[in-house]
Amino acid sequence: MNTKIILALGLVLSAGSAIAAEEPQIIEHNQMMDHGDGHLMDMEGGMVMGQNKDKLPAGCDRVSEDVQITVHAGRKYSKSFPGTMFGFDKHEWRVKPCTRLTVHFINDDPVRHQWMMHGLPKFMYDKGMFHLEVTGPAKVSGTLILPLEDRTYLVHCDIAQHMEKGMKGQLVVGKGSGTFPSIPGVTDPAIFDNYGPVQAAPETAAVSVPALAAAPSSAEPVAGNGQTAGGAPLFSGSLVIGFVAGVFGAPMAYGYYNRRLKGRPLGEILGAVAAALKGFACRLNALLRWLYRRFKEGQRYLSKDKN
Amino acid sequence: MQSKSLALVFTCAVLGFVQPVSAVTTNPATEKVTIDDAEPFCNSGVPPEWRDAQVVEGVNIEESRICNPDNPADIAAFVKGTNNVSMQTLMDTNLAADALTLTNDMDGDGDPDHIIIKLEIMELNGHSPDFPGVVPTFDIAPGIQPSFWVFTPKTRDMSTKSFASAEANPMLRLPAPVIRVEQGDVVWLVVENTHYFPHSIHLHGVDHPYMDHSGEGNDGVGQTSQMDIMPGQSKTYVIKPRQAGTMYYHCHVQPHTHIPMGLAGLFVVEENRPNNWVQTFNVGAGQVRHPSVAVKERYAREYDLHFQSIDKELHRMPQAANDPRLIARAMNQEYDITDATDDYFVLNGRSFPYTMRESLVVVQPNEKIKLRVLNGHTDPMALHIHGHKATETHYDGVEHPPASRVTRDVYSLAPAQRLDLELNTTDDGLHSFGSGLWMFHDHTERAFTTDGVGEGGSISLVAYKDYLDDKGTPKTHGMDLSHYFSKKFWQRKIPIWQNWADDWGSLGAPAGSGSAAPASATASAVSAATPSSGGAAASGSFGNLLIGLFLGILAYIGFVNRAFLQTQAGRLINRQQGN
Repeated sequence: MNTKIILALGLVLSAGSAIAAEEPQIIEHNQMMDHGDGHLMDMEGGMVMGQNKDKLPAGCDRVSEDVQITVHAGRKYSKSFPGTMFGFDKHEWRVKPCTRLTVHFINDDPVRHQWMMHGLPKFMYDKGMFHLEVTGPAKVSGTLILPLEDRTYLVHCDIAQHMEKGMKGQLVVGKGSGTFPSIPGVTDPAIFDNYGPVQAAPETAAVSVPALAAAPSSAEPVAGNGQTAGGAPLFSGSLVIGFVAGVFGAPMAYGYYNRRLKGRPLGEILGAVAAALKGFACRLNALLRWLYRRFKEGQRYLSKDKN
Repeated sequence: MQSKSLALVFTCAVLGFVQPVSAVTTNPATEKVTIDDAEPFCNSGVPPEWRDAQVVEGVNIEESRICNPDNPADIAAFVKGTNNVSMQTLMDTNLAADALTLTNDMDGDGDPDHIIIKLEIMELNGHSPDFPGVVPTFDIAPGIQPSFWVFTPKTRDMSTKSFASAEANPMLRLPAPVIRVEQGDVVWLVVENTHYFPHSIHLHGVDHPYMDHSGEGNDGVGQTSQMDIMPGQSKTYVIKPRQAGTMYYHCHVQPHTHIPMGLAGLFVVEENRPNNWVQTFNVGAGQVRHPSVAVKERYAREYDLHFQSIDKELHRMPQAANDPRLIARAMNQEYDITDATDDYFVLNGRSFPYTMRESLVVVQPNEKIKLRVLNGHTDPMALHIHGHKATETHYDGVEHPPASRVTRDVYSLAPAQRLDLELNTTDDGLHSFGSGLWMFHDHTERAFTTDGVGEGGSISLVAYKDYLDDKGTPKTHGMDLSHYFSKKFWQRKIPIWQNWADDWGSLGAPAGSGSAAPASATASAVSAATPSSGGAAASGSFGNLLIGLFLGILAYIGFVNRAFLQTQAGRLINRQQGN
């Protein structure tokens, strides 16, 4: 009977250990070298800075209470906060003034993460910092005593872009002193992202659209206030030139008609008119192509500028 | 005849009427643009003794007579490994304790043969959701901060120099560090992806098996070798390079953007020699302060020169949003490299004038200098060294037979190519024209500008030591260089010749004209507006011409038929009166 129970227990235990083996093993970094000033380090990259287990900050006549927190850090804690990539399992902690706080920092990722706190009194904490750092999957623990003042401390991972992409929190002592921006689930960012529709068209195209749109609208010279759509006044030099050409050109054209075409069959007249129109169309075509080339060159400079 | 002269008189009258009355006008006076923000030539603030030749942890470290030399403690740790230096030396660096582990002299020749290199991936000049600036900062020239992604040796503690400073610590910089190992070493290259995007390492030209012994892909190519390294994940590449040479490593994830973003560096395999402790990292490239045994056999000094080019639109994308999904969309779905042009050109991560603080090639007469050059541009380059003709000894890490080596003064490099040059400073009119401060640069014209402002880009100097002071400042004999150290100059606000021609500024800026071309966005807006309004005016006057023509014809017809019109008008009036 007894042996059966032991056997069953053994099976359960071995099954349990098999499951545990699939999970990455959390390595505890608790054999660190003390470099003085609360700075501990080991050769695997585990690190504690600003450790203080017994020096009371000014105004604290005793440690108000002993608090232990466990903080997880890693990629998977970004899951609940769209738009982040890294995270802590919790982003805000609250303690009383003069608390002796021990932080057990567990990094679940096989890269470095940090639990770095700024703003502590510099005469007690080197650079005003309390700092835990380890490459996961591993755990590192450190202790500090918090000052008497109500204050909010920034907690973050200072690896480039880890704070920006979600690894940011705050430690509120007493009533705190306000909040920090862009803490996932706690505060809004100071600068919001723009989630507008995709600007699929390249910017150069966007520039050319108004330029093209302006051209057809200005081609219609009708306007009630004596102004064309393009903004040129109706009574202008070109109107005068046109008037002069009309007054003098009409009799010349009439004379040409009288001399060359009067009395000819209708077909010939139409043919001559068609030839004249064709010549005019060719010239117009050449003019338009020249204008288009100029416009395209302008575009090339524009697009070069954009790039 | 009469009608012709009438027309002539009429035309003259019209022209006379149109012509403006001329008067004597004075052009605007010259307005001086002050340069009030110029940095000093050298503001690195390093302890002067860092530049001296010295021995740290038993490691010989060569003199480095430049403004911003490498920290000797870093060099010692890079040569001995973070596992073999004292805690004090390690504390003098920014390196993680496990950044570089050198062990196991397998062939018993006095140097370690098992090399564990840990790399992280860092973003420089990245976005912050908390303030409008970028962090951690890395300026390629005064005020110019494109975002970069770089491999870095594994570091510890803060990314910035201090809590008060936003400036990146010296390990985090462009280019990705040069990695040096010895031929035959067993190298574990551990990539800890600390960045928010997937990355990998492809060992371009470095002897590596396609698969490693554990059956994992080793080529760094997601499509054929092994899935990319995801954010927060780690991968170890295992190699034992059999051939020496100047090689290359780079990220192979979306490589058309990730290589230009900065995830690329030189990978040098040094020839095997006894007691050959090589300098595993050369952060920021430039002078190798502890050259390998084989290099010292033939050369007085060794320099790594990594050229890169930057499209400012691409490098703005990680700064334009915080959400990684928006950055990925901009870079992978919107950016089109086939429409892109490069704007910045850097040598060892900096543009002129900052190149003169870090990337001088310091020489003395009658020396042979080894230059390892990598073209990291997106285009071919044409390196030229003033006053010298160097000899091409190795192409892409493979030695060229001495009899057929080419000595010339422009060296062509296709993208990703490496070229080893032997710079001979013998003053014989061929190899060298003598002592001096000799410029060297990519002779592709745009490459010696910074976003089109010259002289910038990847210009640096071959500096004969007599022409340098104790701090490595070149004793130049030309113009005052202070405007190059001003942000205003790179913002196109300084008329460069304003003080030169004469006292009264004949080539300065006309008053009231404002400074030259502002930001390109404004420039393009102006040029976009100009053609459209011009077109409108043109079509408007053309319309008026047609209206005039129509009215003119109408007037003629009216004139010809005036009798008929008069009769009609009379009838109308009569009818009105009759009613």
